[in-house]
Amino acid sequence: MLKRSLAIITLLIIGYWLAQGLAGVPFGQDKMLVGQYYLNHVEAQTGAINVVTAIVVNYRGFDTLGEVTVLFIASTGVAALLWGRKKKRTAKTEGSVVLTTGISLLFPFVLMFGGYIFIHGHLTPGGGFPGGATIATGFLLMYMAFISYEIPHGKFEVTEGLVGMGYVIVGLIGLAISGYFLFDWIWQTWHWGAGNIGRLFSGGFIPVIYTLIALKVGTELSGIIDNMLKEEVKE
Amino acid sequence: MNVLSATGEALVLIGTFFYFLSTLGLIRMPDVYNRMQTSTKSATLGSLGVLVGTGFWAVGKGYSWAWIVQTLVVATFLLLTNPISAHALIRAAYKRGIPLWSGSVVDKYHEHLKKKEETVEEAPIEGDAE
Repeated sequence: MLKRSLAIITLLIIGYWLAQGLAGVPFGQDKMLVGQYYLNHVEAQTGAINVVTAIVVNYRGFDTLGEVTVLFIASTGVAALLWGRKKKRTAKTEGSVVLTTGISLLFPFVLMFGGYIFIHGHLTPGGGFPGGATIATGFLLMYMAFISYEIPHGKFEVTEGLVGMGYVIVGLIGLAISGYFLFDWIWQTWHWGAGNIGRLFSGGFIPVIYTLIALKVGTELSGIIDNMLKEEVKE
Repeated sequence: MNVLSATGEALVLIGTFFYFLSTLGLIRMPDVYNRMQTSTKSATLGSLGVLVGTGFWAVGKGYSWAWIVQTLVVATFLLLTNPISAHALIRAAYKRGIPLWSGSVVDKYHEHLKKKEETVEEAPIEGDAE
């Protein structure tokens, strides 16, 4: 009781303190400094009309590379923590007929929608991370509905590695061409898709990188799901 | 106001009405199975009304026809997946042994499981079978 009331009082004090701090920030007023620059120059400099993905991939590509690294470390860490000699799926009950049929029908559509999201990253909301998460959701559905379903491990791990390498290679090509890492050579040097802004074949290297990121995120999250759903079997 | 907008507005109104009914059923019904019944059915119907209605409404207001296509895709997806999820939830609830409402009369599934167990004969009970 004392513990709980102390916790509530502390939280209230922290909340009041934060509210006081935020009270000085005016709402609804134009406070953009860098933001205005992005909004004004995004089409000319990157060829994308989705400002968020342009910032995330193009202007601040290092953050995205870091995020991909974090995900990779998370997936590797889960695999290392749950590493066992003999691991198998121990689910007992198969999903009902309705569930298995429904999900085997739904699975390709989920994958297709994931693909739609990451291919259109420079045009519509979304991008590599939501697209990859959608793809992983498809595999999660398969795991939930079928007792013995397993992802093709070998292919998935190879894809994960190759695709991560692809991201760095795209960055290194930019380094070779212009002198700094993750330089958008497809747009800045080739001017590829310059008369095509707002359509699918535009956006510099954003669609390329988002395809790579989505494949990486999708295979990684599927691998995490696979690791977590397995249990050690006793001989 | 043209015909398309009017249709859309009417559909959205019907949809929200069914949303309301679904919430009401969630409060009013006595057990899990009845609650799932009311909420799933009317929430699915309400979503279809609101989604398709929004599509019609937007086209009537002069936006592109893509609105109808996109809302129809989402509506189809909901129409196909909502019953499956409701089925999975109900089945899991029954398997966990959540009782039917005290006023329920017939439980054929229980009888079916019993009969199956008898035919198997002395098989160890799986624990979560009913």
